[in-house]
Amino acid sequence: MSPARSAEHVAVPGLGTNDPGVCAQAPGSPAIHTIELSKRYRNTVALAGLSMTVARGEVFGFLGPNGAGKTTAVKLLLGLAQPTGGEAMVLGAPAGDLETRRQIGYLPELFRFQSWLTAREVLVLHCRLMRMPRAGWAAAADEALRLVGLAGRGDDRVGTFSKGMQQRLGLGVALLGEPALVVLDEPTSALDPVGRHQVRVIIRELRDRGTTVFLNTHLLEEAEHVCDRVTIISKGRSLATGTLAELKVRRPSARLRVTDLPGGWWQRLANFGRWTQEGDWLLVEEMAAGRVPELVAAIVALGGRVEAVIPEHQSLEESFLKLLGET
Amino acid sequence: MSAVLTIASLTMREAVRRRLVAAFALISVVLVGLSGWGFYKLSHGTGFTSGETNLALPQAVVLFMFMFSFVVALSASAVASLAVSGEIDSGVLQTLVARPIRRSDVLLGKWLGLAGLLGAYTAIVSGLLVGVVYWTSGFVSPDPVAAAAFVFGEGVVLLTFVLLLSTRLPALAAGVIGVALFGMAWLAGVAGTLSTALHIHAMHTASEIGQYLLPTDGLWRGAIYYLEPSSFVAQQLAGAPEATGDPFLALSAPPWPFLAWAGIWLVGVLVLGVVSFERREL
Repeated sequence: MSPARSAEHVAVPGLGTNDPGVCAQAPGSPAIHTIELSKRYRNTVALAGLSMTVARGEVFGFLGPNGAGKTTAVKLLLGLAQPTGGEAMVLGAPAGDLETRRQIGYLPELFRFQSWLTAREVLVLHCRLMRMPRAGWAAAADEALRLVGLAGRGDDRVGTFSKGMQQRLGLGVALLGEPALVVLDEPTSALDPVGRHQVRVIIRELRDRGTTVFLNTHLLEEAEHVCDRVTIISKGRSLATGTLAELKVRRPSARLRVTDLPGGWWQRLANFGRWTQEGDWLLVEEMAAGRVPELVAAIVALGGRVEAVIPEHQSLEESFLKLLGET
Repeated sequence: MSAVLTIASLTMREAVRRRLVAAFALISVVLVGLSGWGFYKLSHGTGFTSGETNLALPQAVVLFMFMFSFVVALSASAVASLAVSGEIDSGVLQTLVARPIRRSDVLLGKWLGLAGLLGAYTAIVSGLLVGVVYWTSGFVSPDPVAAAAFVFGEGVVLLTFVLLLSTRLPALAAGVIGVALFGMAWLAGVAGTLSTALHIHAMHTASEIGQYLLPTDGLWRGAIYYLEPSSFVAQQLAGAPEATGDPFLALSAPPWPFLAWAGIWLVGVLVLGVVSFERREL
């Protein structure tokens, strides 16, 4: 859905690549390109016209509350479900294309593997299904195990693994064969803080290798750490797409504790932003970025004593809630 | 084709790793062992004349195979019901079909793996039975290989049907429906046999239709035919003409049109299963 046709879509500057008119089949086509992608289950609309473009090589966050349609969109992109409207191109081919799937790694939200196989056997099975050369199976499995921190557990049965270890294994499966696109559906939902950190490191390494990562998550902190761009969806629609900086549309503010300010000070400091007083604290909002030192100098020049300064930035969570109409 | 074989070998390995094969092997050894004891008593017991023994042995073999065919059918139904819907519910299948393989490869691979297991199980137990019966009594059915093939065919028909159900229904529902229809088909066969003896044409026609809808009982009757010597059948009929109503007596082999239909039915249901699975939302 183009911004012009969607009243709900927030226009964010610098979003040229989100133009649905981009030709996905062209050489250097986007990693993912959807136009009005829709999915309806009987009376329930799971996805209501999703249009987005994910450039090759970027880490793209797909954010939304529970039930927003994130997993449905992922299933449509992978051909696990069929759309009821619109179209989707993945790596330049229609979503679900058999050959293209060879270049896609996928960690599902519901990660389950054959509990009666060892971790290494699971990885080798996927090497076989990907039609990788047989000679490379063992090395690929070992490398995947090492990458996800399961190097010493390769010969243990998956049934003996904790949920977190199974998710690590799922990530290893998704990374097999150096895919051009890795789709991660809530990749850290079962991981401890150390595991989450490792996943972020892996995602950054993937980006450095030029791999496109489509990160489906409701953990905003996760997106803030690794994503180049994000789209926020709700009720099956994209509300906004852009870089994190673009989505944090409100200008930063600062909270100050100041004494000895002369009368009428706010008139002389009005050009810094909108001032309000909250108890002992002064709050200046809508201030241009990087003006905090200048502001402190101006207060001192007026004879004020600055006892504390707390710069405040709008978090992605604030933007997220604002877009969802929760604030 | 390689993806089909990969999934087939995976299916077989699962049966081995989950100790399904070991459990069935143990049960079969116990059953065949107990049957061997029974056949020995039957042929060496003091309470029977040789004529009675000659009549009882084929019937005992048929009864054993009847019980075994039920085990095969129930096993086929149980494993097939879990093969698709069970793995969709657990999420295992989604990781497989996201790979560059066709869904038809997955379904055909599972079918091939399960049918292979069923074939091996039928061959081993039938072979053991033939050996034990011969060893204990010296009796050999006219064509035990053909009889085992018909029991296997019966199992594969049910396996394929439940696999089709499993692409759409929850595992429990698919399994229960499969077993229930298998039982109904057998009852329809019994009713058909009785209707022949009692000359009730409407019931006979209904039974015929039932046999074509789910050809398990028709195949089972093929197994009976190849287990019973013609002299035994003649003796039965000579002693009591109403024996044509005996559900454990087959006067003729299944006709070729029926066997051809069973083959077409099998392929058709398998194709339906593939189409159904390809259209299934995961």
